[in-house]
Amino acid sequence: MFHQYKTLIEDGDLVVVYLNPGSMLTTTVKAGDMLNNKYGNFRHDDMIGLKYGSMVKSRVGTGFVYLLHPTPALWTQVVPHRTQILYLPDISFISMYLDLKPGKVVLESGTGSGSFSHSLARTIAPTGHLYTFEYHELRAETARKEFIEHKLTDVVTIEHRDVLANGFGKVGIADAVFLDLPAPWDAVAAAKESLRRDTTGRVCSFSPCIEQVQRTALALDEHGFSDIRMYECLVKDYETRTLPMPDIEEAINGQKINFKPNWSERKKRKLESGSGTPTGEGGAGSEIMISKPVDQARGHTSYLTFAILAPEANN
Amino acid sequence: MIASQLEPTVIKSGDNVIIRMPSLNAKIVSLNPSKMVSLGKFGSFNASELIGKPFGHTYEIEKGGTIVPHTTAGFDNADITEANNKEIVDNPKSQKLTFEEIERLKTMSLAGDVSAKEIIASLTENNEAFDKKTEFSKSKYILRKQRKFMKSFVPLETSVFNLCSYFFEFNPGKIRGIRADTLSQILSLANVYSNARILAVDDGQGMIIGALLSRMAAGGQLLGIHDGDSSNYDVIRYMNLAADSRDHLQTLPWSKLYHTVEPFTEQLAENATADDKSGRERRMRGHAKLSDTIDNLRRGEFDALVISTNYNPKSVIERLVPFLGGSRMLVVYDQSKDVLLETFTWLRQSPEFLNVQLTESWLREYQVLPNRTHPLMNTSGGGGFILSAIHLAPVDKPSTSSASS
Repeated sequence: MFHQYKTLIEDGDLVVVYLNPGSMLTTTVKAGDMLNNKYGNFRHDDMIGLKYGSMVKSRVGTGFVYLLHPTPALWTQVVPHRTQILYLPDISFISMYLDLKPGKVVLESGTGSGSFSHSLARTIAPTGHLYTFEYHELRAETARKEFIEHKLTDVVTIEHRDVLANGFGKVGIADAVFLDLPAPWDAVAAAKESLRRDTTGRVCSFSPCIEQVQRTALALDEHGFSDIRMYECLVKDYETRTLPMPDIEEAINGQKINFKPNWSERKKRKLESGSGTPTGEGGAGSEIMISKPVDQARGHTSYLTFAILAPEANN
Repeated sequence: MIASQLEPTVIKSGDNVIIRMPSLNAKIVSLNPSKMVSLGKFGSFNASELIGKPFGHTYEIEKGGTIVPHTTAGFDNADITEANNKEIVDNPKSQKLTFEEIERLKTMSLAGDVSAKEIIASLTENNEAFDKKTEFSKSKYILRKQRKFMKSFVPLETSVFNLCSYFFEFNPGKIRGIRADTLSQILSLANVYSNARILAVDDGQGMIIGALLSRMAAGGQLLGIHDGDSSNYDVIRYMNLAADSRDHLQTLPWSKLYHTVEPFTEQLAENATADDKSGRERRMRGHAKLSDTIDNLRRGEFDALVISTNYNPKSVIERLVPFLGGSRMLVVYDQSKDVLLETFTWLRQSPEFLNVQLTESWLREYQVLPNRTHPLMNTSGGGGFILSAIHLAPVDKPSTSSASS
């Protein structure tokens, strides 16, 4: 599912049910079952045979929902939070910096809620492998069940293990190591042990506090890692609107224009009609299309500390 | 236990390598073992010296163009001291070495007769103000001189991250100003994976096409639509891709979007020469390739549509969205937000798309040193904008009758 798209929804498939921009949930389609929410009652039988990305209508009332194909990015938006999770900007940046691609072997600790694990698995499948470690027994169990339900066990192995105390138990096998731990500096030696020594090894430590970064960087330096770089990555969401911008002559002539200060008017989705036409094409000079960042944004997630372990020089 | 089976990345003859110099300037070098690589004032070395060596080490250039791995000193633990800059006045005379003497040292250094360490030592010894500096500014002074005089370099892999960062810094126009973090978000949003089928328009010389390719393996298919007769995905040639990686990439000119492929009918004349035969075979291969590409396009149901274009993005989307599958992602990049505004509004109102978002990535790099951790003083002003949306399955078609792709 997460590393292989399909076209049609079949009995037993996982779907992401999209209610509105702020509300999505997942359900496993099962003949005979019913999905009930504030938009109506939706029969699973009506979903089977539809294409992913289809709309399904309630059997009562006029409600409808969309059925989406699960992806790691959507999973990040719907995953039940058992811990603080990684979001798309960090996930993306780390994956590219660590040069992840099909075939790579990656170690992750801790698994947490498994948000990043899904992306990692998708990126390195089908020939790579993710070993993910979680020291919290219940969280490890929950993640294990999810990986089974999501058919990821061919590329993901989860282990209930305290990496800080016991290391990874893997020697010289990994292309990259990702540390999301309270005391990552204590896992640097274990990370080094697990990395391949015949090619460039890469490590990323994900820590919310600058003090953690400083200690981790020192530990990386002491253990012979090089090119220690640290970044912060966030995204800004924008919204647009069409703004009337009449010349001041209008006011001189005694007109008072009604300027709406409100940005958050969402256009109602049109159900029928083909594709919409832009409303932004106002009269000459009287309207412009403008944009601004949305009012609330995530201001910090974590600092991303990277380092490489160059292979032994052969001279 | 599954160990990584990937070939170790060592530097091979003919590889493209990013050479980072002490000044942090960089250049891409295609390694020809019989040639010298010149790094200007940082010296020259024999390209053959690098063959078989791993990436990521710092190498020092010695007399005669040989190189030796340089053990990096690691963090210098400059402590907070009592010293401060109270006594320091700007005085060009604090350096007792004359201009001519320094120039002579530089010339000797290029010839390999004096080491960077020795130059820096005589510069600090002869600098009257040096001892009055704080430990922090001493270390900063030495770092500044190292960036000027060290004869060393770091060979870096032309990974997607390194290539994108390189072009973003030294030739942003080539890649339509896309920064590595923005590029990485495109790969996540488009849900690129090993055997995805992806439709792309990349007018930024293949930086995006190359990044997509790097995440695909056997079974994956990437179809690039381009203007003119042939595609310009120049960036890909720096990526040291395995020979079969390019097999996943098909290209099609816009002018052939609605082209009907007629059967190949060219016959050889009775008295055909060898040239005529090979010419016909070439045309036949070209015809088969075009036919395959068009078949692939017409099959539709692509898993992602990724666009970075100089043309009106709305017009490009309108032409290509019919080939995109349901519950698949549309991702559009542009360096400027203004270009995307009308398209963004249009997508938001369209019943064919969900979750339409316009975002800008924000990236900040920090210096991390003991007691001196802070954001870098210089940074990029912006790394581009992404418009993304989930494409819905068309409602007019009875979905049960459509066969799975």
